[in-house]
Amino acid sequence: MSLRDLQRKFKKQFSDFFEIPRDIMLDLPKIVLVGNLQVFIENHRGIVEYTVEKVRIKVGEGEVGITGHDLMLRNIKMDEICVEGHIKSLCFLEPGEVW
Amino acid sequence: MVLLRLFSFLLGHVSLVVRGEFLEKFVNLAASRGIYLWDITRLENDKVRVKVRISDVRPLRHIARATQSSFKVRERRGMPFMINRLKKRKLLAIGGIAFLITLYFLSSFVWFIGVTGNDKLSDEQIKKIAAQAGLRPGVAKWELEPKEIEKIIREQLPSVAWAGVYIKGTHVIIEIAERKLVQEEPHKGPAHLVAGKAGLIKEVLVLNGQAKVKEGETVLPGSILISGEILQEVKPEASNQPLPEGQEPSAPQYVSHFVQAKGIVRARVWYEGYGECRLAETVEKRTGQEKISFCIKFRGKEIIISGPKESPYQHYEVKKIVKSLPQWRNIGIPVEVTTVHYLEKVVSRLNHGLTGAKQIAEQKAMAEISAKLPKDAKIVERRLEVVDTGQHEDLVRVKAFVETIEDIGVIKPLKTHEEARD
Repeated sequence: MSLRDLQRKFKKQFSDFFEIPRDIMLDLPKIVLVGNLQVFIENHRGIVEYTVEKVRIKVGEGEVGITGHDLMLRNIKMDEICVEGHIKSLCFLEPGEVW
Repeated sequence: MVLLRLFSFLLGHVSLVVRGEFLEKFVNLAASRGIYLWDITRLENDKVRVKVRISDVRPLRHIARATQSSFKVRERRGMPFMINRLKKRKLLAIGGIAFLITLYFLSSFVWFIGVTGNDKLSDEQIKKIAAQAGLRPGVAKWELEPKEIEKIIREQLPSVAWAGVYIKGTHVIIEIAERKLVQEEPHKGPAHLVAGKAGLIKEVLVLNGQAKVKEGETVLPGSILISGEILQEVKPEASNQPLPEGQEPSAPQYVSHFVQAKGIVRARVWYEGYGECRLAETVEKRTGQEKISFCIKFRGKEIIISGPKESPYQHYEVKKIVKSLPQWRNIGIPVEVTTVHYLEKVVSRLNHGLTGAKQIAEQKAMAEISAKLPKDAKIVERRLEVVDTGQHEDLVRVKAFVETIEDIGVIKPLKTHEEARD
């Protein structure tokens, strides 16, 4: 177990104990999916890849991958992204994982 | 979201096509610098279209240089560009503004007047009176006072029980409620002709009926002049035996039949009128000077916007116009705008003098009489008399006597015996 894992474990217990929302404490993304039309991702770290069929967004340590067609970035702000289009899937990728 | 879009429209935005290898980097960098990008769509492998505010285009150049990409402006949208375009077509802009001003200006006049609710009165009649009151097509709306016009219509047309004047845009609707005048049908059945006033009978002309008065008689109001009941003597049959000796002929028997009395009964009628006038009078007159003050009333609090708080004149008349927002259902907006006109008045003392005062008093007395006179009355004598109370006072009292000859007959329906029995 690395130091990082330990740190994460401590943070999780800490947030559980004090009932602090985890997305703030653990730097996790908050994802809102509206049907298959829209995805809001708060607390992101920037986009990694963007095509009409595939969008990858850096989030915390990993990435969030969105597939579908006619994808479009509705808006992008410092910590918020809204993706629109016909969404087929949404998956979480480990850092460095090839998709 | 909508607000943001509106904001970006007002500020103006452009749509850019960005070409480069590392477009994701470009977007990330822009977002991290606080540049708001939206509607990002991939066109080709190395092309992306983004929308951005005008003010953010300049910083984007630096980012483009840093990410080895370039962009071209494809579309310009929003107010700043529209204004720019209009600057090139000044006449169009002027025309547009002139149009709006004209539209606004023309909409503040009354163009159409509609009359509803009238039954017997014609539209033209009502419109004519409204025109007298200042409501005619082409008049400015700010000069209209619906309450005044309503009042004038009501006063001028006695058969109008209620009038409402509503301004709806450039239309004015005059709503009328007519008084249902119960018109007495001319009486067909038997009737007497009775005196309407007290008077001395001058002449009697009977067309139908039986005269009950003679010339020179004095009648009181209500007394029968020409009776509708005609008494006819029933003669005993001729074939009867000669009356026995000693027997009196039976009292004459009458059969009455009823007609509608007709005729002309002229009589002398006297009228009396009284008028008085002070030797010196104080008269108030508007000078035409006025001060206007506006104030807004909000929940009982009055805030004066302009104009004086109190009347600046010593003698004045106050005209108050309260304008409040229209009420919708039960929700009224508790804001009222009040315009107060202070009209200056001049109080002057008029000195009539004895003869002048007498003349005015006489006029008043005569006016009082002539209001009572019927149309067909013929004045035969006119006498004016100054009343002397014996005390010294600065008042002239005048009594006027007028003698007329007029038809005093009034038809009064008569109940026949059969009817009376019913």
